[in-house]
Amino acid sequence: MQDMLLLTMCKQGDRDGLRRIYEKYRDGLLILAIALSGDVNISEDAVHDTFVKFAGSVRDFKLTGSLRAYLAACVANRVRDLIRTRRNQACSLEQHRLSSVDLNDPSRAVICNEQLERLSSALAGLPHEQREAVVLRAYGQMRFSVIAKSLGVSVNTVKGRYRYGIGKLRSILNGEVRK
Amino acid sequence: MRPIAKIKTLFAQSNVTVGSEADSKMVNDALSAFDESMRTETAVVQPSVRRTIMKSRITKLAVAALIVIAAALSITLLQNAAVPAYALDQTVAALKNVRFMHLVAHNDAGQIEDERWIEVGMDGFQIRYRQENPVPRNFGVIEDGESTAVYRNDKRAVIIYDRKDMQYQWVGELGKAFENLRREGKILQENADYQDRRAHKVWWPMLSSECYVDPETKLPISIGRTQLTYEEPPAGTFEIVIPEGYTVIDKRPGTVTEPVPEWLLEEENAQQNKAECFNQGTHALARGDYAQAAKQLEQALGYDSWACFWLGSAYYGLGQYDLAVEKFTKMLDIFKEFSRDADQLCSYCYYARGLAYARLGMDEEAKADWQVCLPLMIRTLRIPSAGWTFEYADNPLIRYGEYKPSERETVIKMINRLRLITGENFGYDPDAAAEDKEKAIAAWEQWFESSGQIKFSPDAEILPAPETAEDADK
Repeated sequence: MQDMLLLTMCKQGDRDGLRRIYEKYRDGLLILAIALSGDVNISEDAVHDTFVKFAGSVRDFKLTGSLRAYLAACVANRVRDLIRTRRNQACSLEQHRLSSVDLNDPSRAVICNEQLERLSSALAGLPHEQREAVVLRAYGQMRFSVIAKSLGVSVNTVKGRYRYGIGKLRSILNGEVRK
Repeated sequence: MRPIAKIKTLFAQSNVTVGSEADSKMVNDALSAFDESMRTETAVVQPSVRRTIMKSRITKLAVAALIVIAAALSITLLQNAAVPAYALDQTVAALKNVRFMHLVAHNDAGQIEDERWIEVGMDGFQIRYRQENPVPRNFGVIEDGESTAVYRNDKRAVIIYDRKDMQYQWVGELGKAFENLRREGKILQENADYQDRRAHKVWWPMLSSECYVDPETKLPISIGRTQLTYEEPPAGTFEIVIPEGYTVIDKRPGTVTEPVPEWLLEEENAQQNKAECFNQGTHALARGDYAQAAKQLEQALGYDSWACFWLGSAYYGLGQYDLAVEKFTKMLDIFKEFSRDADQLCSYCYYARGLAYARLGMDEEAKADWQVCLPLMIRTLRIPSAGWTFEYADNPLIRYGEYKPSERETVIKMINRLRLITGENFGYDPDAAAEDKEKAIAAWEQWFESSGQIKFSPDAEILPAPETAEDADK
């Protein structure tokens, strides 16, 4: 069902509308969050918080672009906040990312497949800012201007981060192929 | 496979399995928040007499008929009173009516690092001026229309000059800046989102900045990181006041003053010498005499931030790439200290340093620098004035009004720079038909969007720059 229709259902108080939006985007947003953070706990919390916040404000929500991109930006921002909150003082965003735990631990609430593990592993080599730009562009298919707005930086900064991130990914992925 | 394609494929193939407990928690918490917000809604919009009446079928039909009539009327009215599209002339006209400007820029810590008040005359010239840079320079200037007071807080001194001898400005002659906006500015996006409000996004070439324009007043509300307002300043803003304990050094003609302190005399003499060296060094650089340029510009360091950049260019010309990198880096540091928009303002510097790195075989460092400057380089292909600083950096004669590149020349040179650092060509022919040139520009944009590879290519095919004014104006 189209997002606009689902949103209209939500605005009219129809819980089914919200449930369908949740079902439609839950997995994708979790993948996005895991790609960004490499941490399933943070990802689960980020997606949880995003949906709770969205559900609480959907009555006044006005969709100006793509709902997918909007939710992706919310998750990205929440991931960043959660990493900042949870890291200890000696642990930077990157260090946190690299110290992430086994994504496929069967005792976890969210289990990732092999491709997601590879994706997460490749992105781990990028600084967080570059990872955000690459992931939002690749997953959310967001325009640079939209990413820039959601991250609160200039378009040129996002473009620079994206290009630099892609450049690094090229060598990371080539290295992976050679292995 | 290109990295972005591979990443997209991995995204497409990625999958998660969410445990039922986690899933239930997420969906239940979301539904609870949803129910809560809807309860609030219900409480706010209580059933009213109006709603009761609206339930009547006859009322509904009557209202529907009224809505149709109102819609028809509003279409007619809208056609007669269509909102005119935004044009830069409107901003220039609005700016010409401005009497006061208040500019404030904050640093990352939220402190004011630059605050200026400007009183503008009917002729577009600055009448009175106040500038304060509390951090990091602890420096201030007040011009009251006749005199200029420079507050040297580091020396606890105020130096007063006749305004004719010393004048501080924001962007030089304001009238020229407005004219530049009118003639060369570009509307990038109408009704863009800017800090939770609507604003027109505009490129202002002379300031090398994007600015946002209020759709109502048509006045710029931000230029780069600087916020602008237009209120009348508090009384006394332009009044020269001597802080307690400060020494006054009055350098206005005819005034009797204490002997000029040694530190100021030394500073002034040094400044005069540097100015002379700067002049000679920049002209030497323009004629390709790199050894002389380096010698003179070394002496001119500190006179003007561009001395550092052009000294780097001279070392590059001499093949001393490590020194060139050092000077270009210093130039970037200077800009970063004074502007949070340094990356954009200094794109040319990243480009030049990238070349020096590439010559040293430091490919990764070169690529990192070129990543920063590429967006502006690509933008120049459609908005030639965006590449103005590259031209200025390449030829110091522009500073003295002794040379002025045309738009055509700016684009050709930018294509050459792009070819040099990418190895791509895309067949741009400056003499080709407009649609062919458009194809080449679109190819560059596509290359940029798809993250084509950067590759230093000193043997790239270089387009000849226009040799005559006639060629340049084609």
